[in-house]
Amino acid sequence: MHDAMACLYCQFPEALTAGLLISAICALLGVFVILKRAVFIGITLSEVAACGVAASFLLGIPPFAGSLVLVLGAVSLLALPFENQRIPRDTLMGILFIAATALTILLVCKSGTGLMEVNAVLYGDLILASTKELKILFGILTPALILFLAILRPTLYTFMDREGAKVLGIKTWVWETIYFLMLGVIISAASQIAGAMLIFCYLVVCPAAALVASKRIWVVLTIAPLLSMLATFIGMVVSFNFDLPTNQTICMSCCILFGITALASLTYRQFMPVSQQA
Amino acid sequence: MSDPIIICSDVCIAYGRQEVLHGVNLEIPRGAFLPFTGANGSGKTTLLRAVLGLLPIRHGTLQTPFNKNPAGYVPQHRVIDPLYPVSVKQIVEMGLYPERKWFRPLTVQQKKLVIDALEQLDMAEHMKKNFRELSGGMKQKVLIARALVCQPEVIIMDEPTSELDEESETEVLNHLLQLNRDHGKTVLMVHHDLELAKKLSDIVCKVGRGNAQIININGGQTDA
Repeated sequence: MHDAMACLYCQFPEALTAGLLISAICALLGVFVILKRAVFIGITLSEVAACGVAASFLLGIPPFAGSLVLVLGAVSLLALPFENQRIPRDTLMGILFIAATALTILLVCKSGTGLMEVNAVLYGDLILASTKELKILFGILTPALILFLAILRPTLYTFMDREGAKVLGIKTWVWETIYFLMLGVIISAASQIAGAMLIFCYLVVCPAAALVASKRIWVVLTIAPLLSMLATFIGMVVSFNFDLPTNQTICMSCCILFGITALASLTYRQFMPVSQQA
Repeated sequence: MSDPIIICSDVCIAYGRQEVLHGVNLEIPRGAFLPFTGANGSGKTTLLRAVLGLLPIRHGTLQTPFNKNPAGYVPQHRVIDPLYPVSVKQIVEMGLYPERKWFRPLTVQQKKLVIDALEQLDMAEHMKKNFRELSGGMKQKVLIARALVCQPEVIIMDEPTSELDEESETEVLNHLLQLNRDHGKTVLMVHHDLELAKKLSDIVCKVGRGNAQIININGGQTDA
């Protein structure tokens, strides 16, 4: 294990560091994406970010700038009140998802780049992460992580019982807006390296495994990033040793880890008396 | 009758262009146990949500003590999504949010408040349980404990017994009456059953035809 890690780190230090960083932060935020029953927002924002990266190719601007503008636009649109509208928020997410997916392909085609670039935009390639991209990631993800930890409690209360939180004087719209803006910024920053599929995987699969594994919120918030980092590391080692595409291997690693956790949890609940279950 | 704790003067509440309540004048006495009754869609919940500050009023004035001391709000228990892996204790701790400092754990005194609130409702032994594992009646009692932990003057409830069986309903209502009688809390609650409301209190707030008034069960109108 140690040798594999050392070897991987020697050859792809940026890829390993970027992978672990993105996986940990996305998994942490993903717990709230699942609890809010807004899983579709993960894939929608990931696709919108990919679309922003594709638009950046065409316009010749930095990819992060392109994806950030589009993702923040999408977040603002989704933040509109939908309570009394004729269509639910999910439907708008679906429309955004379709538009972003189609537009990404169209933009990449128009930019005169080849199939490899299309694949890179849609699926990303963690192994190709550069030092510059890693610096940008660090610059964005580290303050985002600190901010998220700082607002954890009011965000939890806001998501869990919006009106109850309001009555207690919690500015629910502030925390909700900060959370979704932060999600947008993190997805934008990570999208060029990780790609839409891997980001969505980090937002959903490992947090789901943590939620299956524990019924304590603080435990869930602790093990979701750890499981995500473990799956990333295993995926990268397997990819490195068997010459497989990195991102897809990590996704499979996350899914297998989820399967193992779910099975273990089911077995534990089946055979342990209710009084002794953690 | 004691001094009013909540005063509504010419209050108008609307959803978009549609006025639900208009010209509401109410003086809710301190220490009252006041069920809000009326037909479906009459505006009972709307009025209480406006009192809580969850809905803006179109015009009129609403005087409440909630700036200094937040209301103890008890929603229906299904408001808390069972997906959330939170314990009974964590739910009750939420009520202490206005008094907590960033990143600081609960003080010894705050921990005691949580236990006291749960003990008042005979729920202390379940404090480590996951909220989703409780029955409807127990969940409702936990939400009442959350409302009590910040030691509010006023407790406001939105149909607290609507999904409970008869036994759980009686138990929850008895606790509320006890809080009102023994601790002097003002209790306002939406309840669709007028007959039951009459058994609980001498006065009810009848909401209907776009207005609300406090009615004495013995026949007299106490407030227009």
